[in-house]
Amino acid sequence: MTTRTTAPPALTVTDVTVRFAGLTALDAVSFTVTPGSVHALIGPNGAGKSTCFNVLSGLCRPATGTVRLGDADLTRLAPHRIAALGVARTFQNIVTTQGTVADNLLLGRHALSRSGFTASALRLPHARREQREQLARAREAAELTGLGPHFDSPVALLSYGDRKRVEFARALCLEPSVLLLDEPVAGMNAAERVRTVEVVHAVRAELGLSVVLVEHDMGLVMRLADEVTVLDFGRVIAHGTPDEVRRDPEVLRAYLGTGAEAEDAA
Amino acid sequence: MSERLSRARAVRLGWTFAAVVVLCALPFYLDAFWLRIGLFSMAAAVGAVGLGLLSGTAGQLSLGHAFFLAVGAYGYVWLAGEPGPGLPTALAAVLAVLLAGVAGGLFSPVAGRVRGVYLGVATLALVFLGHHVLLTADSVTGGFNGRSVPPLEVGGFSFSADSELSLLGVPFGAEERLWYLGLALFAITWFTARGLLRGRPGRALVALRDSETAAAVMGVDVSRYRSAAFVVSSMYAGLAGVMLALAFRRVVPDYFGLVLSVDYLAMIVIGGLGSVAGATAGAVFVTALPLLMTRYADQLPLVAAPGTTDGAVGPTEAARYLYGAAIVLILLFAPDGLHGLVRRLRARLRSRRTAPPPADAASPSQPPASAVRAKEPTP
Repeated sequence: MTTRTTAPPALTVTDVTVRFAGLTALDAVSFTVTPGSVHALIGPNGAGKSTCFNVLSGLCRPATGTVRLGDADLTRLAPHRIAALGVARTFQNIVTTQGTVADNLLLGRHALSRSGFTASALRLPHARREQREQLARAREAAELTGLGPHFDSPVALLSYGDRKRVEFARALCLEPSVLLLDEPVAGMNAAERVRTVEVVHAVRAELGLSVVLVEHDMGLVMRLADEVTVLDFGRVIAHGTPDEVRRDPEVLRAYLGTGAEAEDAA
Repeated sequence: MSERLSRARAVRLGWTFAAVVVLCALPFYLDAFWLRIGLFSMAAAVGAVGLGLLSGTAGQLSLGHAFFLAVGAYGYVWLAGEPGPGLPTALAAVLAVLLAGVAGGLFSPVAGRVRGVYLGVATLALVFLGHHVLLTADSVTGGFNGRSVPPLEVGGFSFSADSELSLLGVPFGAEERLWYLGLALFAITWFTARGLLRGRPGRALVALRDSETAAAVMGVDVSRYRSAAFVVSSMYAGLAGVMLALAFRRVVPDYFGLVLSVDYLAMIVIGGLGSVAGATAGAVFVTALPLLMTRYADQLPLVAAPGTTDGAVGPTEAARYLYGAAIVLILLFAPDGLHGLVRRLRARLRSRRTAPPPADAASPSQPPASAVRAKEPTP
């Protein structure tokens, strides 16, 4: 992993609207991810957090609005181009490919390596050299995330927490400037959660990247995030530091439902 | 660890060397019948490796493999023969392979958009289209009766029985000479396909099969790789077509029908999806079985000799029943094919060998075979 010398570009989301056949999944959503920060995206189920991730990674095209990374416009780009620009993501439900941890991490190096069909088929020297170099980089990512001992194990044999970590390491292999983590600790036990938080802290400190986080574990969000954007029914209902957001009446209403209504009635 | 690795490599090199020596020595001991089985098997193996790359590794179901085999075979015959440009045969062979690749490339707008069973049906159309063209385009394909295949000549050396040649007292006819050509082409296929699968493109293709979404967000250009898989697979099919044409010495349209495509699918399923060695094993099994059964029909129970009509099952039908049964058995008991079966047997042998001493400190990352089996991924 090379440490980035310059600050990563800011990720700016402006007025993004997504409609699925009459349902407005995202309604004029805007937020900016400050370079090098951890930005949490929270909200009740169905608030549009995952849709927002799909827009950011190019899997879903917004009806209106733009997504920019620094000077580059990501809105109409194909997913693989967005990945090449340095936006990596993990999935809520683990999506790994068959093979070993090494195979998966090398897939993460895809955009950063060159050898094509001819060079690989003929095993040209530069293709073999590249393969060795990429393997070394993948191993670094594995060590960083604590997957070192499992590097050559088939992914299918790993525990749930380790497989989540494989996804995380694979995203890191892209050497992203923005890392999108979709529920990185869902389904993990307490020890695994602590470890994941440590790794997120570590990569942010070492690699200086921005992290966008979707997570239901509020304790973790409050500890990890610098900024929080709250979505409800596709709209941004609050934005600010974790403390500000925690006190916001709109947020309390969205999460607790009857709280505000009860006050109104009283 | 590194010492262990280098020893494993030395053992592997030794086995490869032994296999090459045996394969090269066979023409001195076997008669033409066995050599012909070998030729067809090698050609089928090349084609099966191509289909394995497309359907096994990249997960794109293709029923159109016979079409690309036909493009290779007829391409060679037309390019090298009369009527046709009458090019030097070696050049014609290379161009025929490229032609098959171009055919795959022309199909890629469809391949890039259609998935799963729908792609299977779309490729099915290719077979019928191809068969119709082969029957009707008389001037190029020779129509129903097909065309005879001009023998390959490389640098004045002819791969046919035209010129007298004998080596160490063994007369070298067409089969003996083609055997070495087939071996060389199969070696090239083995080398390139394994290079592809273990390299960057292979990993991208596996990702395409397992999850297109994950592949895309990891930077794989999905439609480009889908098309590329088709082109590469068609080129292997084209090479297999050329080899088949040379071995048959005559190409006829009826050979390149749907049944051939299904045969190739059977090969990769029996062998194990996504593995070069598996595809080869499957190809040898599916190719050699009917030929052997025809030859030994009179000695087998319940199988009639070829040409007799006394109600019993003919040898070709019997071979089909057998390999149909083989497919069912393999899908039930070894879904990862012969290749997976061998791998599991080897893992079990290894764990038995290393089991008596309490723990094998040299390979902590290697899970014992029992653990591998217990936690087999549930789909």
